[in-house]
Amino acid sequence: MAHAATTIGDPVSSAPPVAYDKLEEIFADIRGHVLYDHELHGCLNCGICTATCPSAQYYDYSPREIVQLLWTENLEGIYDAMQEKIWACAQCYTCAARCPFENSPGGLVMIMREVAIKHGMQSAKDVLRPFSRVLLKVISTGNQLAPNMITRDAFPDWGPDVSKVDAPLNILRKAIPVPTLHTMDTAWVVNLRTSVELYTIWEETGVLDQLETVDENLFDVVSDVMDEKREEYAEWLEEQEAEDA
Amino acid sequence: MNKHEDERQGAYTGFGEEWRAASLSPTEARRATDWVEARIDRRSMLTGKNRVEDIRDAMWQLEKDGEIIVHRIDERHKPVIARTLYGWEKKIPTTNLWQHKSCGQCGNIPGYPTSVMWLMNELGVAYLDETDQTSCTAWNYHGSGIGNVVSLAAVFLRNFHQAYVSAKAQGLDVGTYFPLVHCGTSFGNYKEMRIFLMHSAELREQVKKILGKLGRLVDGKLLIPEEIVHYSEWLHVMRQRIAERQTIDVSNIRATVHPACHVYKMVPEDVIYDETVLNGDRVAVSTGLMQTLGAQVIDYSTWYDCCGFGFRHIIGEREFTRSFAIDRKIKVAVEEARADVMIGHDTGCITTLDKNQWIGKAVDKVYALPIMADCQFAALALGAHPYKLAQLHWHASPFEQLLEKLGIDWEKAKAEFEAYLEEVKAGRIETLYDPKRAITSGPGYVKPAMLAAAEAGK
Repeated sequence: MAHAATTIGDPVSSAPPVAYDKLEEIFADIRGHVLYDHELHGCLNCGICTATCPSAQYYDYSPREIVQLLWTENLEGIYDAMQEKIWACAQCYTCAARCPFENSPGGLVMIMREVAIKHGMQSAKDVLRPFSRVLLKVISTGNQLAPNMITRDAFPDWGPDVSKVDAPLNILRKAIPVPTLHTMDTAWVVNLRTSVELYTIWEETGVLDQLETVDENLFDVVSDVMDEKREEYAEWLEEQEAEDA
Repeated sequence: MNKHEDERQGAYTGFGEEWRAASLSPTEARRATDWVEARIDRRSMLTGKNRVEDIRDAMWQLEKDGEIIVHRIDERHKPVIARTLYGWEKKIPTTNLWQHKSCGQCGNIPGYPTSVMWLMNELGVAYLDETDQTSCTAWNYHGSGIGNVVSLAAVFLRNFHQAYVSAKAQGLDVGTYFPLVHCGTSFGNYKEMRIFLMHSAELREQVKKILGKLGRLVDGKLLIPEEIVHYSEWLHVMRQRIAERQTIDVSNIRATVHPACHVYKMVPEDVIYDETVLNGDRVAVSTGLMQTLGAQVIDYSTWYDCCGFGFRHIIGEREFTRSFAIDRKIKVAVEEARADVMIGHDTGCITTLDKNQWIGKAVDKVYALPIMADCQFAALALGAHPYKLAQLHWHASPFEQLLEKLGIDWEKAKAEFEAYLEEVKAGRIETLYDPKRAITSGPGYVKPAMLAAAEAGK
């Protein structure tokens, strides 16, 4: 409790300092995560994880540092790492495959990302802004990618050969000999009942709350899509009942 | 050697007074380093063997305790036994497979699932490709942090429950179809979820409550798959049968393989290794297939690196993705291995390595390495049409030169495909299976006549 009035601030930033209570709350959420003990067992600072980490070669990011911050319960360092560093991880799990302690730094990063979202950190909102199209797609359809998302405009750095045959996208899709792939808005045809079941999973597991925290507008759009599909499914069920009767 | 020396040898620690400088020449040191680099990945994982639990033991115990039901791989699936990292047996079903598609493959690399299903048709393998499935949603989770272990586990078991009951739509017994997972991330994620579910009663309870609401329990219990099987594992155990149907000689092709992180680094104990494939030092899938087809598989120093996909990076921080893909994979494969092609077995890797070469021109890193999945290469080797079936026109990397080296006239094939597009415009579409089979319930489901008659007669 001696820390109750303590704050953490950045002397070269105009951001307001963070109360120590808040840091403790954040760490409690990390440590209380159902997978925390599964992902962290100890650390000798050997650095194998960082030596093999792709992101460590390009970012100010080190899985060894993440593990050490958590292992030593360095609350200020943890908070600082949650602003930017945790978003550098490429989630390849090379670190986890190599760690002699069977830690999973990549798994710990995921716990920290979940907690960053739970606390509505601005850094999380900023980082996830370019990801909103994928979020909309996955929450509303269960597919994370759709053919009409892959365009020359969206990915100019992929070059001119997004498709090497010049034809309308809908024709190229119909020319795929797998009938479930004759789609534009989703990667495959998704059964209406499947989508409705998925919405129940989102609701029951707090995923929609997470979405609302990081992007209220996106949450509103997704909610509308869900309502529409549920109504559509309810109407179909009614029709079936009428037919059976 | 005296007794004292004998004891010392057994107890050698390499520390303190026992330490001796190796005094290797630079050449010897290089050779030693090369040896370690070639083997370190498997070696480092083998050191943990005694601490690793076979999660299937916990699974069988939970079934015995009446908590779960296991969807078994049985004679209907004609399994073949493969060996994993620690020599454990893994049952790979070879027929009656439920195609669990990949959103990235279907959206972006459609020749990937197309080739898998075409090979199955060629081999007379039964399968079901249906619309009642979602992606694993793990790409989103690993990219954004939105989602959690409960949602991922619920999505996993919902999809696998549907695979279990899907055969009822055709008047067949439940459990007839066993899921075959196309995506590497789905494969890794589902294996992780199975471990978490077996370890945590609390998680099982949470997921059970949700699946109960969805009507997705079996006798009031969670349904857990006996094995989680990746399509590359199916290809691996079928590789001899595939090679028997080969029509194109690929022996002049220098192939590099990019093993996918989520296939072999997530839950590494459940990955197939085979002493006949690069001495068992690498994951056997894909490499074993390429060897069996007769291609020259070329090892390269950054084989263990990831591709640079990064989940959110390929969307929002592409500088990282393309730099890593070019510097650590493409450049090495071209300059060190002099590869004609790089073969992958996962969605994100193929996308990343395929799409991120053109931009290299901006910094004078000009590479042109064809990238494709193992199943696409196998389909080509069996004479599949490069456009109509392998769907290579969706690939940004230059596959034309590779086709020429294989003796395939790509210009003729392209013209044939363009002519076929006119047929498609007129509504004359060729498919690998009867489209009616794809819908097993809900709007659009057509009950097979025999099943409808049987129900009417009850």
